[in-house]
Amino acid sequence: MGKKNKVILPPNLPPEVADDEIEVSDEDLEFVGRNREYVGFLTKLDTKSIDRHVKRVANHEDDELEALYEKRNRKPSLLRLKEEEDKLQVDPVDALPVKTLDGKLEYRTADRSKSGDGTNENESAMGIEDDEKNAGMLKLTKPEKRLKLKKSRKEAKKLAKVEEKGDIGEEKLHSEVLAKVEEDLSAEELFRKKKIRLAEIGLQLLENPEENIKALKELLQICDDEDQNIVKLGLMSLLAVFKDIIPGYRIRLPTEKEMEMTVSKAVRQQRFYESTLLRSYKAYLMKLITLEKQPSICQVAVRCLCSLLDAVPHFNFRESILASVVKNISSSDDTIRKLCCEAIRSIFSNEGKHGGEATLEAVRLIADHVKFHDCQLHPDSIDVFLSLTFDEDIGKSDSLEEPVKPKKRGKWKSQVGSKEVQGSDRKKNKQEVMKKTREEVSADLKAVSFAPDLKDRKMMQSETLSAAFETYFRILKNSMDPSASRSKVNAVSLSCGSGSYPLLASCLNGLGKFSHLIDLDFMGDLLECLKKLAGYSDHNDGSMQNHLSVSERLQCCIVAFMVMRNNLDALNVDLQDFFVQLYNLLLEYRPDRDCGEVLAKALKTMLWEGKQHDMQRAAAFIKRLATFSLSFGSAEAMAALVTVKHLLQKNSKCRNLLENDAGGGSLAGLVAKYRPDATDPNISGALASVLWELSLLVKHYNSSVSSMAASISSMGSMNPAHTQVLFSTASPLQAFADLSIEQELFKPASKAASLSRKRTREIEKDFVVMDPDQIRKSENMIDEDILTRKFKDHFNLNKGIMENERLRRELNHTMSSISLYEDYKRQKKRKKER
Amino acid sequence: MAKKLGKKARKFAKKNLPSVMKRQRKLNSMFKKKSAPRRSKVSNKVFLEESNKSKNVQQTHGDLEGMILDEAFYNNDLGDLFHQDDYDLDEDVSVSDGYISEDPECPYISEIEDEICSEEKSDDVPILLQNREIYQEIAKQKRKLDKLCVKDPQFSKFLESQRSDLHKSKSEEIYSDEEGDANSADDDGIGESETSLSGKVLTSSTLDVWCWMVMEQPNCSTLSSLLYGFRAACHFGVDSDEVSQQKIANREVFSKLLTFVLQEAHGIFSRLLGISGSMNKKNMLKTTKKSEWKSVRPLIKSYLRSSLFLLNQEMDNQILMFVISQLRLSIMFFAAFPSLAKRLIKRSIHLWATGDENLSACSFFIIRDIASKCSSDYLDICLMRTYQAFIANCKFMDSANLKHIKFLMHSIVEIYSLDIQKSSQKVLISVQQLASILRQALKTKKKEELKKIHSWQYVNCISVWVEFVSCNFKNYDLQPLLVLIIEIIRGIAHLFSGPRYLPLRFKCVKILNRLSLSSGVFIPIASLLFDCLEHRGNINADRTQRTHVDLSSLLKVPKQLLKSRDFHEESILTAIQLLSEHFSQWSYHISFPELATIPLILLKRFHENTTLESVRRTVKRLMDQAQQKSDFIQRKRDEVLFSPKDQSSVDGFLELEKDRSSPFGRFYASMRHDGLQSPRT
Repeated sequence: MGKKNKVILPPNLPPEVADDEIEVSDEDLEFVGRNREYVGFLTKLDTKSIDRHVKRVANHEDDELEALYEKRNRKPSLLRLKEEEDKLQVDPVDALPVKTLDGKLEYRTADRSKSGDGTNENESAMGIEDDEKNAGMLKLTKPEKRLKLKKSRKEAKKLAKVEEKGDIGEEKLHSEVLAKVEEDLSAEELFRKKKIRLAEIGLQLLENPEENIKALKELLQICDDEDQNIVKLGLMSLLAVFKDIIPGYRIRLPTEKEMEMTVSKAVRQQRFYESTLLRSYKAYLMKLITLEKQPSICQVAVRCLCSLLDAVPHFNFRESILASVVKNISSSDDTIRKLCCEAIRSIFSNEGKHGGEATLEAVRLIADHVKFHDCQLHPDSIDVFLSLTFDEDIGKSDSLEEPVKPKKRGKWKSQVGSKEVQGSDRKKNKQEVMKKTREEVSADLKAVSFAPDLKDRKMMQSETLSAAFETYFRILKNSMDPSASRSKVNAVSLSCGSGSYPLLASCLNGLGKFSHLIDLDFMGDLLECLKKLAGYSDHNDGSMQNHLSVSERLQCCIVAFMVMRNNLDALNVDLQDFFVQLYNLLLEYRPDRDCGEVLAKALKTMLWEGKQHDMQRAAAFIKRLATFSLSFGSAEAMAALVTVKHLLQKNSKCRNLLENDAGGGSLAGLVAKYRPDATDPNISGALASVLWELSLLVKHYNSSVSSMAASISSMGSMNPAHTQVLFSTASPLQAFADLSIEQELFKPASKAASLSRKRTREIEKDFVVMDPDQIRKSENMIDEDILTRKFKDHFNLNKGIMENERLRRELNHTMSSISLYEDYKRQKKRKKER
Repeated sequence: MAKKLGKKARKFAKKNLPSVMKRQRKLNSMFKKKSAPRRSKVSNKVFLEESNKSKNVQQTHGDLEGMILDEAFYNNDLGDLFHQDDYDLDEDVSVSDGYISEDPECPYISEIEDEICSEEKSDDVPILLQNREIYQEIAKQKRKLDKLCVKDPQFSKFLESQRSDLHKSKSEEIYSDEEGDANSADDDGIGESETSLSGKVLTSSTLDVWCWMVMEQPNCSTLSSLLYGFRAACHFGVDSDEVSQQKIANREVFSKLLTFVLQEAHGIFSRLLGISGSMNKKNMLKTTKKSEWKSVRPLIKSYLRSSLFLLNQEMDNQILMFVISQLRLSIMFFAAFPSLAKRLIKRSIHLWATGDENLSACSFFIIRDIASKCSSDYLDICLMRTYQAFIANCKFMDSANLKHIKFLMHSIVEIYSLDIQKSSQKVLISVQQLASILRQALKTKKKEELKKIHSWQYVNCISVWVEFVSCNFKNYDLQPLLVLIIEIIRGIAHLFSGPRYLPLRFKCVKILNRLSLSSGVFIPIASLLFDCLEHRGNINADRTQRTHVDLSSLLKVPKQLLKSRDFHEESILTAIQLLSEHFSQWSYHISFPELATIPLILLKRFHENTTLESVRRTVKRLMDQAQQKSDFIQRKRDEVLFSPKDQSSVDGFLELEKDRSSPFGRFYASMRHDGLQSPRT
């Protein structure tokens, strides 16, 4: 009830005012909902005067009013009610709160039963009008629903009177009995009853949804219960029911015109069914969306929303579900976030269910969400994009059928498409007859199936893609701007946001995955952007924390390479800068801080897979990687060595590094001496060096590393002609994974069956670690005198203890004798009595 | 005093505190059932003994298998390893086999009994004071009782009748209690057939005569009397209720008896058996076949049993050391009595693990002797139980017990090094168990799993095996063990990154350096130390508030120290020290310049950025030295003609130079010196 109304109403509450006439706007309701504390004024109301008023009105007539009071009071005292439900007071006169002398309100405690009671009286009084009554009850909490319900009821009554009469009668009987019994029930039993009722309704609905569709309303009412457990159960049962009864199509409500037309009974019935379903569904969703804000129920609400999104993405009101799910996608609550991400992923991966529209909507919503939050979100929210699938075949199959419209295709596929068009045109002439039949069949099929037009799908896909890329670019841009994010990091506390740019890592992942779909127009900018990001941190700069982490910078390099490679090197961009970055990043890498997989991936994409034209650069990398493996763990070392081997195989001239050749320096060209600390691989003069690292790596504790080093060092003698012969299959990524600590520990330890003894040793005599003399000294520390004294002490002590024991026994004995005297006296008395 | 009281006091409390007694009785009810038939029938006893023996054998076997197969391995709890065999020795205690019978016709029992001294007043032991108090109390109560009796003469009659009832029940109680004690302690055979000497008091002059006679002519009958007295002395104060016990006149007699028997027994037995010089397994086997063995065997057994009993009862370090060192002479005799030997092992391992420095050393010697000289079964037991005791005793570490734990570690390595073939299997199993704990932690990352690893217990266990491997790597092929241990240590370092765990990290690096040095394999450690160069403490912290940070006794840095300048300094200095240790190991390797490249680049950067003056100097020194060395190697290797693949030439590179002192060697020596002075890691 609106605040204003209440302030004025109580003193002159007109009993004849029907509830229907009280105008309650949605805003008012919301206001009360948001500002619970304001409702506190209820408790300060002059209840006595209200009482007077109500009594003057004659309370037995106006149970509605009473119910209204109850409803109001229930709100501020939701929590208290739970406890108070235990003590039941039955007297209906005491139903209203009574103010005690000290100003406290005493609530009547039989809330639930009381309202049931009221319903009961009403029902008996008004008979069939019980529906009307229900509406009245509802209106108080959900007035916006009331109107619709009423409208529907009017039609419904006409239509369903005949069938449902029996039903209603039964239900009425049922609820009457229920209400009576309820009065004596404790809260627990009430809970149980409600649960049973929930189950009954649910079963009814599942058994025969057409006939029992009205029961949805009751279920919805149960969800208004003040017991949160009941609400949860109600929500879950509604979810189950809706998942089951929602049809496989979208419901379109009949227009006014259609309503006016006379239709058959079956159609009318169907319409009623559909409209009821839709209305209840909407009400349910509204309820979920409002409940989602309550911390105690939000998990259940979100779970329901996600399941609905997963199960019925084609149905009405998808937009609102999506909106609320996307809103929760970067929730700080892990479970909620996981649920939402899962739901979105399922939307992306099961496009058959909704024909791709939902995908587009979701991606757009996420894009907006990211924009709104200025990229300060949980990385999970962007990771869902990785589940997007873009079907490149759409364009191809499309070109067969509609060769005339290649222009509408997505920009990035236009070239490919038009080529195929020409080829296919000629073939067609030969089998025109066949073709025609096939077309007819496929047209029929298309008409029948729900699959949207290919054109539409294509459109949708390109829209989706552009929305996704928009998000990605936004994130990149955001990361480029150093001032923007730092200030906000503290405000947005993210559970696992890495560094200041939580979304950057997953954004780069996404870019890497979809790099083949990036429009050529953007590519230049993108690379420029990546270059900046990769080279962003200059360690001479004092404020290091401000910048991207090593992993992120490595990822930038990887993405740049992937973008380039996937587009067939169409753009002539010099990637030299990225090589320089990688060369220096190798020094920045810290095994436990940075992600080793990223490093291995960078080695793989940039050095292992690509072609090295520049010998100077290749040599520099070979040298650096070899040096790198001297300082780092076996997994990193292995990844580096695999790369080194590969580079050596592909660049035969670099194999000079393996030989300690006095003339090696001549190849080095300008730089005659190797400079290990150079920052540019091209001027390091690595060709002048020798890979002495290998001789130390052969002694590496890990057998795979040492054998790899041995095999590399023997490559020098390989015939230069046999360059391509020995390509090792394992990529750096694979090598890294194989030797990671987790893997190493899981390797079954080889049982050392028999130990080969390298040298004989006189077992019995030798000490391995200890200095025997030093220890033996301690043996000689025993002093006879002390010993004798100690023995004597020992004797005395023991003697003392023995004596003590003896004395104590004697004492106990004496004491017990004395205590026996009591017994003795008692016995004597007894004898005397006898 | 509290320590001295020890077991005695506990026993004492048992007798006097009813609640304890009740509990005790409950516990003992099990024993009672078992021992009831044994008391009555000797044949039964033998049977029991046999069955017990076989059970033990089975158990040990089962344990070994269990260790390998079942839960101990998967359970991932350090304490669980070798856990099951605890019962083993406990049960042994109740096994009694064989006994010597006291010769009733033993002559030369001095009849002078006036020596029984009155209470020595000089000692003002609290227990005596208490005794006096109780005595007074008794007197008071007695008077009260007397009064009652006088008042009501009929009461005394009633009392009499009640008393007899009471006595009956009480004696039962005591009987059951005592029986439990006797069982769990020592149910010696001597006392049973013996009556003649009961109640007799052993006086100083008798003892002197006996000693003289035994030394002059090792007559069996005198010896057995002496041993009987020895037994009584060992049991003195424990089974004092037994009437059969021989009384010992005073403390001089007591002391002399014990000292004499313990000192001379081995010599006497050797003479009796005709053994000369040291004994070994073969010798012993021969001895047991001699005809004399049969007659001497019960005597030896009695002696060993009594001394063991003394060892179990005694709490004083000096006495324990004396007993142990004397028993060590007769170690070969123990081999003939398996159950006694096991008890000896159990007790001495306990003393080894918990005793003070000297006692611990003595106990270690006897353990090592049993393990090396007696049959290999004992070696197995020793291997298991020492490690087990070590696990139980290394949970905490501070500056106080650092030395002790180090000693324990070394002793374990010694014992495990006795028979590498045998022990390396066991070591592998333990290391695998440690690995599986780590695996679990890596998989789940749960707090309690991590805690298991981040404990002194785990670190110490790893350290023991590291020590073992590095001591024996030269002589045996322990490659798989070495690799597994290195992986575990790397895993630990990987699992606990971050500045708070730097002490643990340093420990890992130190261990890796040790392994690398002893095995000659290359273990890259540089990357493990780079982290701490980037850790930034609060440089501007108040200088006046200096706290000494001792990283060696920490695993995890307390939060308040984390930002402190001292911790920052200390950690960098430690890192420098470890790095220079690593460098010095490979300082003559041809690839040293490359090894130093990346660390030098990073150190240089650190040197430019840091504001810590003291650290700066050390860093600079290391950089200069390493650079010098690097240049030197580079010059030298420019002269050689071989290539990296020529491994033998590489190994021979600068072989001659290694022995000479070089600037870097001196630098490292000074670093180590510094390190020793202020204990780091």
